[in-house]
Amino acid sequence: MSKHASDGDGPSNEDRELRARLDKLSGALAEQRLDASERQKQETAADVGGETGRALSLGFRVLSEFVAGVVVGGLIGWQLDTWFSTSPLFLIVFLALGTAAGFWNVYRIAAQPTFGQKNKP
Amino acid sequence: MAAEGKAIDPIHQFEIHPIVNFSVGGVDLSFTNSSLFMVIILAAVSILMLWGTSSKSLVPGRLQSAAEMAYEFVASTVRGTAGESGMKFFPLIFSLFMFVFFSNVLGLIPYAYTVTSQIIVTFALAALVILTVLLYGFYKHGTHFLHLFVPSGVSPVLMPFIVLIEVISFVSRPVSLSVRLFANMLAGHITLKVFAGFVTMLLGAGAWAALAPLPLAAIVLLTGFELFVAILQAYVFAILTCVYLNDAIHPGH
Repeated sequence: MSKHASDGDGPSNEDRELRARLDKLSGALAEQRLDASERQKQETAADVGGETGRALSLGFRVLSEFVAGVVVGGLIGWQLDTWFSTSPLFLIVFLALGTAAGFWNVYRIAAQPTFGQKNKP
Repeated sequence: MAAEGKAIDPIHQFEIHPIVNFSVGGVDLSFTNSSLFMVIILAAVSILMLWGTSSKSLVPGRLQSAAEMAYEFVASTVRGTAGESGMKFFPLIFSLFMFVFFSNVLGLIPYAYTVTSQIIVTFALAALVILTVLLYGFYKHGTHFLHLFVPSGVSPVLMPFIVLIEVISFVSRPVSLSVRLFANMLAGHITLKVFAGFVTMLLGAGAWAALAPLPLAAIVLLTGFELFVAILQAYVFAILTCVYLNDAIHPGH
């Protein structure tokens, strides 16, 4: 008789305990999920900021690479002209080549959109 | 008017004054305010890295986590751009990044001198990078390194032009690397000074003084933007160094 009573009492006690633990765990889980979603939101916000920064830096890069190509081409042509006194032949030729080099620089930036990609050896 | 013009001269901050006059064989080697700030930058970087790595605790303190973040940031940049074989250049890239970063950020402090606003400094840094690329490229690959300038699969008629363009493009790298950093810092600091000049000019212009808070607010915004540019340019300098070194490690496209 006593055995039966304890049997009847035991599971209900265990049940209560289990339910309490389950509640606690699911509460913690929900909390963690909330945290995670909040963190993700923050991360995406930081990502948007980083995106603008990356775009800005890319813009500066494109501008300076292009200008540098033209300027270096012009300088080489000008120097060759003063050496061979053929002004303005080399200046014109190398200015055109420098412009092409500037476009080539810009193309090379645009052709590999991610820094992570490695050139094949 | 003359005194006012002198007070708002936006270029004045870039002047170099000798602190200790010193010359060897007619070459001026004076210790200038620029040199002083280079020493300050080196001291700041050394303090951060030495002090930050001295405790080696499992749960890092402020300085230790700053030092670890700097290391991890540069290391992941190098690995992502130049691959695992690029890590042998990590000391160079880390030194360059920390030097540029600290000189940009310390230059934002009022009365501080911005070392990277002098093109000779940035050009020296860029020349160091390009010379490393050239020396390592020729040392490692010999004449095969010249294949960097000769892309494959181009018709022989176009080849001389392509090679010339490639050479010009290569020569333009140190120019763009140095000019970008120098121009960003110079332009930012001049902008700040010009807006500060607006404040003093408006304050001295009678009823217009009511408008003086507007440029002052703009300075607050611009200072934040300048901080962003300072960090970004240090990062861009480091990542382009990696990209160029990658060419020396793996020449030929």
